Amino acid sequence: MTISRAMRVRLALGLAGALAWAGAQGVLAAEPQSPDQVHMALRILASVYADMESKLPNQLDRLAHENEEFHDGSGAMRDAVAAEPAAYKSRVLAALDKAVNDSQAVADTSKTHDTAKVRASLDTLAASMRALNGLFPEAVRAEPGSVPPPQHGGPPKT
Amino acid sequence: MKRREALAGLLLAPVGFLGYRALAASAPPQREVNLTVATDGDLLAFTPVELSCPTGARVHLTFHHTGKYIRQDHDWVLTLPGASDAVAQAALAAGEAARYLPPPGDQQVIAMTPMCGKGEQASVDFIAPAPGDYPFICTYPGHAGFMHGVLHVTR
Repeated sequence: MTISRAMRVRLALGLAGALAWAGAQGVLAAEPQSPDQVHMALRILASVYADMESKLPNQLDRLAHENEEFHDGSGAMRDAVAAEPAAYKSRVLAALDKAVNDSQAVADTSKTHDTAKVRASLDTLAASMRALNGLFPEAVRAEPGSVPPPQHGGPPKT
Repeated sequence: MKRREALAGLLLAPVGFLGYRALAASAPPQREVNLTVATDGDLLAFTPVELSCPTGARVHLTFHHTGKYIRQDHDWVLTLPGASDAVAQAALAAGEAARYLPPPGDQQVIAMTPMCGKGEQASVDFIAPAPGDYPFICTYPGHAGFMHGVLHVTR
């Protein structure tokens, strides 16, 4: 069985088109419709994470409260992707739910007052937040650790 | 003698009054300044982080907690230079019953608003202190390290 030259050209063009379409879908899926809102949501979560980290090692009892703030802050992301296509939204929400569960684990672990265990649970949370960030273009990401640690003391004495 | 003193007093009174008026006119009037500061949405930050006013001004400051998602309280507390850490510690020690506000009468606090929940705003009036840079912070536990700024008081 032989394929004519015209047929080969049609097949090649069809294949190239299909590849281009698939590529475009991939790019579109990663480009949120509300990038500013997504960026703010990621900044809020990174901000709460920084606050959580600042509670080590002496204020572990405050982590339950910070966990509540992480839950609250996740609402910003849910709103930010509300209008996204279903498949993309479900990927984001699955990653977000993982992060929220890991935040809960930080609060649960804090009850042990074991700093090493809390540190490990915070690292797990950071990993899930990085996975969430990875679903978005670099320009809108706000990774855990991107918020500077707390600085005390205010301006110098005058 | 008494009659002469009374007469002199009557003659000099308008001079004294005019002198007082002249002095009052030459003294700079006390300025009124309105300042506005807010939280940066749900982030642990003030916006703006720098404010300024002239010394002696009657300042009316409005603080707006613009958060939408996170149930956390914020306030705005102006302290003496170098005293922000001590004030934050005092507020932490005051505890939840005091809503983590510095104790009343804290000599290191120049002015402060009440704690505000998300969407709330509050204001405070105070006289701008001597020229210098004065830190302001949020005294809710753990926030002072993130939420801080400077009031520049000018001459």
